[in-house]
Amino acid sequence: MATLEKFVVETTVEEEAPPYRKIVSDIISDLGMAGRIAKIKVVIRPEDSLFQLAAVVRGVLPQVILKDFAEIQKGDHEGEILIKISVEKHLPRLLQMLWDRYGRDSLEQPDRWTISLFVDNPEEEIGSLENLVVDDPRRTLKSNLADMAIRVAPEGFRVRHHSLNGNDFIFVASEDTMQKEWIDEAHTMLEELKGDDASGSSA
Amino acid sequence: MPVAAVLEPYVYEGGVHKHGLIIELLEDLGGYLVQSTPAATEINLVMLIPRKDVPLMEELAKKILGKLTRAPLTGTEIAVVSPTLAYHHLPHSACDVAEHLRRDGANTNMLGLARGMGRRVALSQDYERRLINEHDIAVYSFGNFSDCIINKKPKLFSGVDVPIVATGSPALKTEDVKGADVYVGGIGRVSHRLRNEGEMDSLDVLNKTVGEVVDKMREEISRDPLAVLPARVMKEIKEQVPEINDVLSPAPITLQLDGMRVKLPFGQFHEKMEQLELDENISLSDVANIMPSKMKDYILIKIRRRSETGFTV
Repeated sequence: MATLEKFVVETTVEEEAPPYRKIVSDIISDLGMAGRIAKIKVVIRPEDSLFQLAAVVRGVLPQVILKDFAEIQKGDHEGEILIKISVEKHLPRLLQMLWDRYGRDSLEQPDRWTISLFVDNPEEEIGSLENLVVDDPRRTLKSNLADMAIRVAPEGFRVRHHSLNGNDFIFVASEDTMQKEWIDEAHTMLEELKGDDASGSSA
Repeated sequence: MPVAAVLEPYVYEGGVHKHGLIIELLEDLGGYLVQSTPAATEINLVMLIPRKDVPLMEELAKKILGKLTRAPLTGTEIAVVSPTLAYHHLPHSACDVAEHLRRDGANTNMLGLARGMGRRVALSQDYERRLINEHDIAVYSFGNFSDCIINKKPKLFSGVDVPIVATGSPALKTEDVKGADVYVGGIGRVSHRLRNEGEMDSLDVLNKTVGEVVDKMREEISRDPLAVLPARVMKEIKEQVPEINDVLSPAPITLQLDGMRVKLPFGQFHEKMEQLELDENISLSDVANIMPSKMKDYILIKIRRRSETGFTV
């Protein structure tokens, strides 16, 4: 948790903030997101059934496309495409995508670095395969952020609003009808968080 | 005569090797084995030992390199009630609370309400309330905000007749939490295992508090004693209904302060229970109410008081 530049948790009763801060930090650690979040501020007003979270995430990595880590060529057999990968960590996701697209019967794995794929028109498929997006860290981050926010928020607060705009994330939850001013407040929190003058940590 | 005055609750922890000696001695002394939990080469025996014979047992335990500790919550079945079974409440802190209560000999059941979360929307169902009422005590595991605990969550207590112990993070007074018999602070919502010093202290306070509630209930029972000791009935069931030995549950017969839960199907076994012979011409149905439990299709036995039966077995 040392990597967070700013970490603020505010509650109506000041003494109730430190236990909640611990919940937030535990969940961020559990989801392995400590390195991805730069600043975070959480405000809870139990009497209004309101939970607000604003976070600034660190710069997001670019998309990973197949040709970045694999060599794609025609195989020796008819209709065969050979995919030779150089980074193994993307393999499970790549295999899943290929299975979904071509079916399990069309794929063989002679060794851990090679996938041989049998299709009707290899030339066309090679073109589309080269630009296949295997991993999109931005999308993963968005779902992780939403997951984190839902875990952190009190369980009964099931009316939710969230947005990820560039590196700025806000999340508002309540058990009552969502109000525009709550979302506006969260945006203000975000601006304060991004500004240099910190509004002080409650913990 | 009060149960606690005659029999003392103890837990033996030691190796499986020669633990049969402990059971033999217990039988010779007229004590009761409440639960036996083997785990690989270790075994836990929860027992009720006649008070005057405790030193004998301690001596034997020491000889076979085991440990005998007092377990004041033995013979109680406690419901640990969590607002829901979602990851917001489980496994920490509700399971930690249940585990700590078990260390003192209690049998605990985790009970997650279907719609107990939130403030305005929190509610409990009739079935859940009936299930909670089958226990000796209900321990409610609440969260971190005093406003919720004071103003919103007590509605989950309605319809619950058994003593209620509420836990939460803020340090509140019991009288602030309407409907709770006792409130214990320092145990709120957490996302990590409770093991820091302060947290363990709070769990110890909780056990102590629950122990005091149990003592009060035992005292109340002693004023108008049960017609037969639950432990005695348990022994008779083990001897007269051999099918209980085939039940794989850790506690096939779960003792309660004024009865027990027998984990056999009600339809098939209730007649056998009713006819269970306790003494000449006295069967269990003469001294107890035998009814279907809300938990699965188990049998719930509640023993009547002496004032009702006119005799004790």
